[in-house]
Amino acid sequence: MYKEAPLTPTEACLDPYVRCALSGAAQTALGVRGSAVLAHAPQGCNYLVDGAFSWQDCDYAQTTTLCTKLCEDEIVHGGEELLARTILEAKELEISALFVLSACGPEIVGDDIVAVCEETQPKVDFKIIPIECAGFRGSQYDGIDIALEAMLRTLAATERKTIPNSVCLVAPHANANPTWMADLAWVQDVLAKLGIKVVATLTHETPLSELANTSAAECVLQLSHDAGYKAVSYLADTFGIEPLCVDTPLPVGLTNTRRWLTALGKRFDVEQVTEGLIADGERMVTETCRRRWPVARFFYRTPAAIVADATVGIPLVRFATEEMELTPTLVALRSVRAEAERLLNRELNDLRVTPHTVCGTDVYATRRSLETVRPRVVFGSTIERHACEGLDVPYVFEVVRPVRHFRLLNREYFGYRGILNLLECIQNEWSDRWRSKQRRYAAHW
Amino acid sequence: MNNCNSDDIVFHGTLQQLVNKVERGEMVPKLQASHAPMCKFFTSFYVISGIRHVVPLVHGPTGCPLWVSDIVRTRECCEFRGVPLEPTACTSLDETNVIYGGEGKLLEAVREADARYNPDLIVILSCCCSGIIGDDVEGVAREAEKLVRAPVLALRSEGFGGDFRSGYEDAFELIMDLMEPPKTTRKGTINLIGARMGPSLTEFHDDLDEVTRLLRAVGIKINAVIAGGCTVDELRRAREVELNASWCYDWGQKLGDAMEARFGIPYSRTGQPYGLAATVEWIMGIADPLGLGHVAERVIRDETEKVRSDVEYLQRTLDGRTAVIEISEFPGPIRALSIARMVEECGAHAVVVNVHPYTIKERMPSIKFLLENGVNPEVILTKGLFRLGSFRSSRETERELEATVRGFDDPIFFGNAARYPDCPVVNLTLLNPMYLPHYGFRGIHNIAELLRHALDNQGLPRSALFRGMLYGNETN
Repeated sequence: MYKEAPLTPTEACLDPYVRCALSGAAQTALGVRGSAVLAHAPQGCNYLVDGAFSWQDCDYAQTTTLCTKLCEDEIVHGGEELLARTILEAKELEISALFVLSACGPEIVGDDIVAVCEETQPKVDFKIIPIECAGFRGSQYDGIDIALEAMLRTLAATERKTIPNSVCLVAPHANANPTWMADLAWVQDVLAKLGIKVVATLTHETPLSELANTSAAECVLQLSHDAGYKAVSYLADTFGIEPLCVDTPLPVGLTNTRRWLTALGKRFDVEQVTEGLIADGERMVTETCRRRWPVARFFYRTPAAIVADATVGIPLVRFATEEMELTPTLVALRSVRAEAERLLNRELNDLRVTPHTVCGTDVYATRRSLETVRPRVVFGSTIERHACEGLDVPYVFEVVRPVRHFRLLNREYFGYRGILNLLECIQNEWSDRWRSKQRRYAAHW
Repeated sequence: MNNCNSDDIVFHGTLQQLVNKVERGEMVPKLQASHAPMCKFFTSFYVISGIRHVVPLVHGPTGCPLWVSDIVRTRECCEFRGVPLEPTACTSLDETNVIYGGEGKLLEAVREADARYNPDLIVILSCCCSGIIGDDVEGVAREAEKLVRAPVLALRSEGFGGDFRSGYEDAFELIMDLMEPPKTTRKGTINLIGARMGPSLTEFHDDLDEVTRLLRAVGIKINAVIAGGCTVDELRRAREVELNASWCYDWGQKLGDAMEARFGIPYSRTGQPYGLAATVEWIMGIADPLGLGHVAERVIRDETEKVRSDVEYLQRTLDGRTAVIEISEFPGPIRALSIARMVEECGAHAVVVNVHPYTIKERMPSIKFLLENGVNPEVILTKGLFRLGSFRSSRETERELEATVRGFDDPIFFGNAARYPDCPVVNLTLLNPMYLPHYGFRGIHNIAELLRHALDNQGLPRSALFRGMLYGNETN
């Protein structure tokens, strides 16, 4: 079909989409309310913590991040003393927990952050949680898994009495929707309507008490196809907590949302309620579209590429194929989890589409794949907008981070309003494409 | 100054006195968490990525390049600066590489980068990881150069290996290796040096455009803006110029001095062209050595005439008043000291607030240069900023700043609009493109315009919304 197959990125020379483990661990730690993060790192790594701070929507008036700012001295002689001193200085802060994150430098020179945390713990009022998450340990998704494991082992170690009809939510922040908090809010709202209690969210604005209560959940719901698999296994193996919707794409688009809600309804024996939610939601979407007439209907069977994280990208395949009547010709996912790859293949088989797939793509592989496949529509980010330069791709729908359109309000992709948010992105891109760039003549006034 | 709460102040004196304290090792903030400017790797990357068609090849895990590529490349460069999507290659070191070394992987990465991107130059940048495990990046660069088409350089830029300044400086020194012996000397041609623009976000092109406009008016040609989007070919010919100049002594100084020492190319040492005197000094500092002083004088006369009313307004308004100048996120310390010089030239008493000792330490050569040139304003450092050391808006610093400003009679505040002192606020943020440039003659007009807005509208209410956003409602 194509002259050459799209490239798979090599390990040696990567232009990555996904940050390192320290970044993912910081994203996770900063989701715990009333805590601070101390990066045991040179000062540059603190920028990754700053990025994580924004990603968790933290408020600088409430959350503090610290850094030991290691220099050559500490790399040569060790930085444990400096770490201990900095932990003690954090006594000034009003916090209930301090997450101590180690970067590449101190881990290679052998700083034992766990021992330092144990030694200083009796001298401070807050709980100290060490997380060994040097950048070289893996991607930001690995970092999320490392941090979740550390939290669960230290803060949720005790078995609690199971709360009936309850769940804990895992890895909502491993989602490339730039305002993923809206996806989480949609899930929380739906669960409330179904009478299901959320025992803990791992993590976003999560109080320490919630974390301690995690083991009381009856079920666990993973909100990412990129991270959280290990935490779900840990909760299942250690506390017997039942994983839900394991083989179901996240609820993006009509069919995915229907399947996801139906699965929940069955598990919690609230099928009538979920049927009501589905009927109301689908009616709302249809009626809204009838009133507003989104132009997405004009793209019938246009070749489309999806370049995204697995969390948004996998469900988008069905949304693009079924709801938008596009023809997926390329699916390039930023992460490469085996579970996500299996889920993607199941979806492609079920839909009977055969796009080129690239798992763990990088910017170079994306550009080359786009060059080979030549889609007419791309779901992606600002990076793909620029990577498409010269390839005659008329439409790039920026749906995953980074996106150039600023959002002051959170917009979900999950659920029924999520469908409308996606259609709105498409509509605005369509308008931009058709907007006149110059006037044929000047007006007289 | 009067009525100021001395408990809020950790230093009050002249710039020279503060420099003396810093040199004696005094005034070290207590909290280790304070001040986390960019690391050496970031700043090296900025300089290198200011060369067109270069592949910065980061020898480290993915976290190091992604900050720069994600924010800087995509948003700042592709979106705002018209720069095409350029590569940010990375060897993505993992645990195995950390144990067994990553030199083989690096060599492979150079070959791939050369084949993939068709670059004019490949620069290997080491990170903490590769630095600590002892990978010989220079050795790999030498080896790789035999195997690929593009020249390959290596820079030791481990984040722990120096402050943010050392990254700029080492990168500038490195690219001097590309400069070939001159085949000729090009009359009336200079390099503008010390820039970090291209696929990076540092300089504000409006200021660069203004100084370039003035140079062209004098008939001076520019070989290259190093490294502000220059080509490798321009770098190769960089020694053919008569003179090096910079629009900011701070950034040009290291490269200027090094090129003077190594290649004998003179460097025009001037401060930033803020205000009339500094602008004249800046132009003449370049035109005179090139024998174009008489043309420059005519350009200066014409340009001065165009901003005469602005200059008169600035002098009339500022004469005898106190100008409190704050160094916050923007305009930055050296710009603030340049503004201090500008307002003093207009007859105002300049008081610079919150120049932090770390800033002094990291910019010592430039600060000393300014002192030698008579820039020695009164300096006040408040406790909140010194202790927390954050340049972000903080409630404590805002409270102290407001108290400090209240201590002066009829002051004018020069800083940015994120401060709420009870006096006219001249909004000098560099994030408002409507009033850029600040440099040169157009800068004089823009700063006069900003001062006019501040004074004409001082009775209007300030935003409780923005203030609450920045500092919470406790200070309302």
